Amino acid sequence: MNPRGEIPPPPTIGIRPTLPNLDGKKIVLVDNGKFGADNFLNVLAAMLKQNYPNATIVMYPKPAAQTITDMPKWYPTVRQQGDLFIFGVGD
Amino acid sequence: MPGVYLTTTEFLDDAKSAAKDRGMPGLRMVALPANTYYRARASKEELLPIATKAFPAIVDDLVRPLTADEAHPRQAQKQSEAANIKVTGKDYPDAYRKVNDLFLDNHWSDGLPIVPPTAKLVNTMLAATSRSAQEVLGQAAPKQGTATVEKIAINAVMAGAKPEYFPVILAAMDGFLDKHYDLTHVQASTGSFTPIVVISGPLGKELGFNSGIGMLGHGFRANSTVGRALRLALLNIGQTWPAVNDMALTGRLESYTFFTFAEDNEKSPWEPYAVSLGYKPEQSTVTVATVGNPIVLGGGAVAPWTGQGVIDQVVARISTGAGFNWFHSQTIDLVLIPDCAVDLASAGYSRKSLQQYLYEKSRIPFEKLSPATVQLTQEAIADGRIRPENAQIFKDNLKPGGRVPIVQTADDFHIFVAGGSPGYDLLFTYPGPNWANQTKLIGDISPTKAGQ
Repeated sequence: MNPRGEIPPPPTIGIRPTLPNLDGKKIVLVDNGKFGADNFLNVLAAMLKQNYPNATIVMYPKPAAQTITDMPKWYPTVRQQGDLFIFGVGD
Repeated sequence: MPGVYLTTTEFLDDAKSAAKDRGMPGLRMVALPANTYYRARASKEELLPIATKAFPAIVDDLVRPLTADEAHPRQAQKQSEAANIKVTGKDYPDAYRKVNDLFLDNHWSDGLPIVPPTAKLVNTMLAATSRSAQEVLGQAAPKQGTATVEKIAINAVMAGAKPEYFPVILAAMDGFLDKHYDLTHVQASTGSFTPIVVISGPLGKELGFNSGIGMLGHGFRANSTVGRALRLALLNIGQTWPAVNDMALTGRLESYTFFTFAEDNEKSPWEPYAVSLGYKPEQSTVTVATVGNPIVLGGGAVAPWTGQGVIDQVVARISTGAGFNWFHSQTIDLVLIPDCAVDLASAGYSRKSLQQYLYEKSRIPFEKLSPATVQLTQEAIADGRIRPENAQIFKDNLKPGGRVPIVQTADDFHIFVAGGSPGYDLLFTYPGPNWANQTKLIGDISPTKAGQ
């Protein structure tokens, strides 16, 4: 007999349309709390600022104790603060 | 809002799998090179070339127009699993080999030979419980597979478990699938966390669980096959596989059978653990708990020890303030050998007073906490992970001169009595993000006493 559990498929959702460019946009860099993620995102923030001087860069340190299942607790803040997000660095 | 998810090359498949599991197959991702990122991440200077190389891809993911599939992905269809699998061979050894090859090739096994789960054997397993074959115990992380009694029975057969063990296996699965148990972490984390499975009450001895010398080792069918049945059930129902979505970097300790053992309720000076939770003496329970590496205490056969000395060692190990960034929800599992428990009892300790002693003595001076730990604790108070009824003592002590508890209540010290004489005491800690211990009643009447 088959030992595998059947998986009820989750509702599939599309991703939001991208923006044509980053000029003048608010970009939220979400730090997932993993060691070194803040360093990488800070380097990235400097590069974004240099390449897109009219963009606003927002650093958002996700509460480290809150995992993906706690997303409803922290994602609204990210959404409120920006037009786009970069999340990292996942392992 | 549009965005991009950053991961590393070694975790890209895992990340894609997780996104798909959550209904977002189109989530855009950029993978940083694992072979350089992990070494460089402590230094912004060393990260600069990695970021420079990744930058165009990150920007492109943010501005590139969506494809039709990304904007309107097709609804995932229910995974169709055949209920039965037919294998034929020229003789029994040939068919047996083919079954094992098939199961391992499909990631349905653990690498050791299995007992082929024929309908007859599965029905025999199901006859050992009064629960319906189609009863759903819950959804198993990480892929949220549906755990029915029948699916668990199939895995129990594969593990070589006797039918009389099945109520124990079901009760343990009730624990793993409890909404408060963080199954995702123990199934998928990069750490080597693994479960302990502890039987308390008369069924431990009756079913032949080893609770003495060698209790975590091989040679005892109850310990080995109950643990293996749970390993296979979690693997097959939650659908995990090493380096695909189980990312334990060095694997999990006792991965084939978990740490499965029974309390020695005859040699213990205290009531069974189950009774301490309010169960009746004639009832048996199984506790599942996620743990890290065991810390070995006591003297074994090579050094002197005292009960108080062991407890002092426990306090010293858990009250350092290091490594407990999640301690608002930490649980401690302590396995004392009977001789140690007897020594402590003769000194006046009950299980309850020992829990209280450990709770008080392990509180950490505020000055020893890192700023990150203080912040995490404040967050845990604010969002309710430190339960409101336990919050005041944390609030009162998160300041200079305060002594902060390392667990929410004294009951978060779980003390079991098991092991040899001589033996070693075992301390298991878990700095995990959820309440980790779950104890469930083994619901069916003892099958051996019932004469099955």
